[in-house]
Amino acid sequence: MGVEARAKVLPGHQISVEQQRLMSVDGLLPSKVIRPSDAQDAARGLRQCDLVPARVVVWGGGTQMRLGSVPRGYDIAFSTAGMSRLLEYEPADLTCRVEAGMRLSELQAALAAHGQRLPLDPPHPQRATVGGMVAANANGLSRARYGTVRDWVIGIAVAYPSGKVARAGGKVVKNVAGYDLMKLHIGALGTLGVVAEVNFKIQTRPEAQATVLGHFDGALPAIGAAARLAREYLAPSAAIVIDRHVLWACGLTADWRWTLALRLEGYAREVDAARDLASRVVREAGGRVEGQDILAAFWDAARDWSAPADEVVLLRVITPVVGLPAVMVAVPADAQALIQPPSGIVDLRVPATTAAVALEGLRGAAGADGQVVVLSAPPSVKPSLDVWGPPPPGFPIMRALKQALDPNGILNPGRFVGGI
Amino acid sequence: MEPAKLDSLLRQLREVVGERYAFADPYEVRLYQYDASPETALPDIVVIPGTAQEVANVVKTCAEAGVPITARSAASSLAGGTVPVEHGVVITFARMDQILEIDIENLRAVVQPGVVNLALSQALKPHGYYYVPDPSSQGACTIGGNVGTNAGGPHTLLYGVTVNHVTGLEIALPSGDLVQVGGRKAAEATGYDLTGLLVGSEGTMGIVTRIWVKIQPLPPVQKTLMAVYPDVETASNAVSAIVGTGILPAAIEMMDKLSIQAIEAASHAGYPLDAGAVLLLEVDGIPEVAEELGERMAKVCRENGASEVRVARSEAERQALWKGRKGAFSAMGRLSSDFYVMDGVVPRTKLPETLAKIDAISARTGYKICNVFHAGDGNLHPLVLFDAFKAGQYEAVLRIGDEILKLCADAGGSVTGEHGIGLEKRENIRYVFSDDDLEVMDRIRRVFDPHLLMNPGKVFPGEGRGHSAQPPPSGYPRRQVAAVGGGDDLWV
Repeated sequence: MGVEARAKVLPGHQISVEQQRLMSVDGLLPSKVIRPSDAQDAARGLRQCDLVPARVVVWGGGTQMRLGSVPRGYDIAFSTAGMSRLLEYEPADLTCRVEAGMRLSELQAALAAHGQRLPLDPPHPQRATVGGMVAANANGLSRARYGTVRDWVIGIAVAYPSGKVARAGGKVVKNVAGYDLMKLHIGALGTLGVVAEVNFKIQTRPEAQATVLGHFDGALPAIGAAARLAREYLAPSAAIVIDRHVLWACGLTADWRWTLALRLEGYAREVDAARDLASRVVREAGGRVEGQDILAAFWDAARDWSAPADEVVLLRVITPVVGLPAVMVAVPADAQALIQPPSGIVDLRVPATTAAVALEGLRGAAGADGQVVVLSAPPSVKPSLDVWGPPPPGFPIMRALKQALDPNGILNPGRFVGGI
Repeated sequence: MEPAKLDSLLRQLREVVGERYAFADPYEVRLYQYDASPETALPDIVVIPGTAQEVANVVKTCAEAGVPITARSAASSLAGGTVPVEHGVVITFARMDQILEIDIENLRAVVQPGVVNLALSQALKPHGYYYVPDPSSQGACTIGGNVGTNAGGPHTLLYGVTVNHVTGLEIALPSGDLVQVGGRKAAEATGYDLTGLLVGSEGTMGIVTRIWVKIQPLPPVQKTLMAVYPDVETASNAVSAIVGTGILPAAIEMMDKLSIQAIEAASHAGYPLDAGAVLLLEVDGIPEVAEELGERMAKVCRENGASEVRVARSEAERQALWKGRKGAFSAMGRLSSDFYVMDGVVPRTKLPETLAKIDAISARTGYKICNVFHAGDGNLHPLVLFDAFKAGQYEAVLRIGDEILKLCADAGGSVTGEHGIGLEKRENIRYVFSDDDLEVMDRIRRVFDPHLLMNPGKVFPGEGRGHSAQPPPSGYPRRQVAAVGGGDDLWV
């Protein structure tokens, strides 16, 4: 079928060349766009796509569209922009129900009006949507203390290619009725269904916050200090080790080789005690404690540093904490690094020309207990990179789950692990 | 099972686990017909494997023979989760009870499914760490069982339930494969989060043979308070007030008048007998913060109608307060020969009206109902008292249970907070999920278990072989006497 003939059978609205360009993924352009108004409408739209079948790429705020392998095909840009309401919010219950297309910053603003927050901090909250955060399992630096998306989602409504909307979980913080399908969709990159609504548990904002900065000559002592603090009761809510390029990118001008930045949160007296402890641990590890008043913009910039971006190759290593020294040995000299020791994560920006070599070296160093994922790569480079690495154990089950929920393979085809 | 088939299967299973550890003697298998729920069903064969590979081989052997498999450890399920309703083979984990590794640097422990929950925290204590989820049955229930039901406990209010503390699983699948999923010692793995999906799947997808859990540092101090209220409504409002101040307690438990009387008769925890409701509150912290928060909570309690607030001054006093709460279910034996435990959840703000409606059901039906529960997360445990020897009472109590779960669902809550759907609530699951919801869940379980051999007859409504299948040819016997009351703290 020719391109024009195919466009005729595709559901959705025509889009301008400009819109096409804005919604390109790894160099591929969509033919049409579908912008549902709610969960049922999303399911109807997916059903139309399934009948063709048309290949769908799901869009939220677009902050994670560089994640994943190059799609096998791309007909429809399926946007959640028309589903952006805060459906329910009862501050006294510390829960809320949100449509997938709501911007995270808008949700946080609504919660902040009641002194509450969702303690998840993925990059670019002004653009990132709730649904995108869930689908990409996009987390920020606060995961050191508050966990990840899976720890805060208590319910979900998903639109499936069958044309049905199905829910799992619920609106209460403790609930074991039925299977926990929230977990299945978190990080599935929209390959099993389109997340239409998400229910969260939320928390009261902490009474106090502080930052401790320490600078070190080497990365390993800084990583060691962060890992040690993560094992303490007064663990920081974020702990990162960054090289001087990242430090500068985050708005500081000091010429420290390696910086350990610690964010402390809690009740006022707890933060005081945590600051004393953190300072002591930094000194004992051979670091120097620096001035503690820094701009909030530092943490925002650090959070956004690991976001996928157009012309950057960004690699993420996830390893057990004790595996970090071995991984650091494999970090190329020309890489820039942001390390989250409590979570065993090393984010690296590497030059496109040496990305494949770096990836191979890091995969060797991460060993069987770790993994390396390409978070972002320009379209010219990505096809030469193995984005997800070898399929994980249990992959046959994953493929069968995909087959069970998206039998025609219309959802984000080829973008996920093992070609799913 | 036909005798010839049984003999042949038994022979095969003995080849896998050894002569001693597979048996079918009708007298011996009777011990495995029940759990802590009122339902029973006899297994044909009981197997006690010693290794993960043996579990996988047992599962494979059974799957090839088309025989149902039900996993069981401490059998403290209150929802009939381990009752082998379709008979077949019961696998029990009495021999797989080892803590395989404690890795402080990675904040992980690796355990076999038969490890008793409390045993792990006790092993971690000398290092200054613990495993957070603490069902009240933690002295008996196992981590394998906790994974099956995604178990909670009083201290999950602040730190989350089992799934928030499990990072990896090794599972035996009906195919005979033994697969490790999840990040294990790393924070996460690529691909779908099968670990998260499997936790709480009640043994219907595969059988867990090894578990990687997070551990965390023990709080330096735990400050525990008891606040006394004239009635449950005032106490419920106090809970909301405390949460509204921004204090994040580690636990908020409530007991009503009838429960207090039973607990005092059994364990002399020091709860005042004339109270309408008692709140048990706990905060974690470094000493100066715990002290400050304790005072702030005490003040909020008083301002919101508490006639008395008592702060535990020593670890012994703290343990005494908790002993009353954790022994609450067994204390009910003081009031009644039998009781039926419910496990519903409502949004916290709906507690007062839900408790009032439960009270009205009690008044209308004449059955006494006690309430002992996790008030902080709205997880109710109404206990309906009855006498199983009196005709019709058990059936009446089941109807009351249904009505209470409907109330919870209609209030925006759930039909189970931590006990699981099991056998008991297969029909009640319809109060919270539509046919479309259940159809997706059914499709997912069939990916793991296409022939519906893994703990069949559980979770899905419609009885027997799964939600979309035919009902079984016959019912299963109900026990005449519920084996509850007295004894140890077996339940939540």
